[in-house]
Amino acid sequence: MTHTIAPFDGFGLGLRRTHFADFLEGDVPVDFVEVISENYMVDGGRMLRVLDEVREKHPVIIHGVSMSIGSAQGLDSDYLEKLKRLERRVDPLWVSDHLCWTRTSAHNSHDLLPMPLTEEALQTVCANIDRAQNHLGRAMLFENPSSYVTFPEDEMSEWEFLSAMTERTGCYLLLDVNNIYVSAQNHGFSAQDYLAGLPLDRVRQIHLAGHTDGEIIVDTHDHPVCDAVWDLYGKARAMLKDAGVGVATMIERDGNIPPLPELLAELERARGIAQGELEPAQ
Amino acid sequence: MSLAETQAAFMGQVLDENAPLPEGWGNRHAAGMHIYRGNYRSAQIDALRDTYIKTQGWAGEDPFRTAAIHHVITHPSSSWTIDEAGAGFDSTCAELFQDAPEVAELAWLEWAMLEAFSAEDIKPLTIDQFALQTSALDEEQLIGLQIGFVPALACRALAHDLQAMWQSLDTPDTPRSDPKLAHKAGVIVWREGERSTFKMVELAEVIVLDALQSGASYGEACLVLAGEDAAPEAVQEAAMAIGAMLGRWASEGLIAALQT
Repeated sequence: MTHTIAPFDGFGLGLRRTHFADFLEGDVPVDFVEVISENYMVDGGRMLRVLDEVREKHPVIIHGVSMSIGSAQGLDSDYLEKLKRLERRVDPLWVSDHLCWTRTSAHNSHDLLPMPLTEEALQTVCANIDRAQNHLGRAMLFENPSSYVTFPEDEMSEWEFLSAMTERTGCYLLLDVNNIYVSAQNHGFSAQDYLAGLPLDRVRQIHLAGHTDGEIIVDTHDHPVCDAVWDLYGKARAMLKDAGVGVATMIERDGNIPPLPELLAELERARGIAQGELEPAQ
Repeated sequence: MSLAETQAAFMGQVLDENAPLPEGWGNRHAAGMHIYRGNYRSAQIDALRDTYIKTQGWAGEDPFRTAAIHHVITHPSSSWTIDEAGAGFDSTCAELFQDAPEVAELAWLEWAMLEAFSAEDIKPLTIDQFALQTSALDEEQLIGLQIGFVPALACRALAHDLQAMWQSLDTPDTPRSDPKLAHKAGVIVWREGERSTFKMVELAEVIVLDALQSGASYGEACLVLAGEDAAPEAVQEAAMAIGAMLGRWASEGLIAALQT
């Protein structure tokens, strides 16, 4: 796979049903919108009509949660075909999913389950990425997940896994800064080491989201971005700037979704930090 | 342990709250697995709640939650789309709400409406196109006529007044009356523009629609309605009745194509 993805240095939001009217009727000041692929992998009806109209106003990124790129059983052909149909319809900036697995041959968890960080898992993920990218005819982005367990058989760190994955497949990275924070807290590694260990030239997008604190921190996307994550975002942006990489940044909110102006205010903060106008803690 | 075995074992842990944790897993792993188990259940129960808003309203929150948990356990999801978590929930309701059989009928209706919501966009025949095409048919062509319906169309026989139940749920202050119908009727579900809708019909209409959707021709549907050994007058009467149904369906945008 030799396709490249050009950097897109913009600020956007996830398109959620609560905000359909805002996007259809108004002029929302975003550089792109991101949609959850599976919500639009349907035969017809309102969802596709809304997507078509939004696409006329904004560049769109399609972001999946069910490709299950880490499944030992390989990828679901029906899923790939429907995703390709959506990709052809939307002509997105790019297509992304997560470094995780969601299903076995018998069951689907509908959750982003953690990968054992082993050479066997890496080979499986790379073979699946090759198949997905070949099927779509374009390179993809994969997002670092939040995780709540690690495996005793782990042979490498997550950033080493991601680095090898991009090198072997030519895929790119969607850097979820909140996920780095959540996993670092849950598993006791340094978020700074994580960032420093990544091939930053392969990063094309950043996700920012909120989480729920507890004995184990959970990636719930139902709170505003917290100060610690803003701080980590500031560090990531500085490192990406030093590496000469422009990235698309978005606020991801899936629960307790507030009115659009609140999300736009968070997005403005992300923009200010990226442009050096704001300190992360402001 | 291979990756496939690790994933199968992990999925088994997620699906079964009572499954013992693998050897060597400590409290920290147990706490992490607790989160994955909770995510699995809450995602599917939330999906059921989103799909079956009226069913939940009629059954009540706690009985609905019990039924939803039962469904998630007995029907573990295998599809990539979480919308499919609600498939077959009407059967679960039929099993669990035996004293209130209307709950299962309401669940069937909401599932049919969900399927209609995202069905393929097909432009139905206009009433003028329908009239033009049927007026050109000779008797033999009419007998062999096959009717193609819009993809979202679904129908079934009913023992309860879903229309009244639906309306009473939209106006919670209205006292509920017994929804049982004096005679069996039917319901047709389709999408009108972008909105799923339904209407109650005579049982005969569902019998005919079901036959036509299963591939029966107009002539064969007449025999289904009149009965195989019916007198010619009865068949003629059925033909007239089905002709009227076709006219109604065409005016409602339910007919996509005619094939002789």
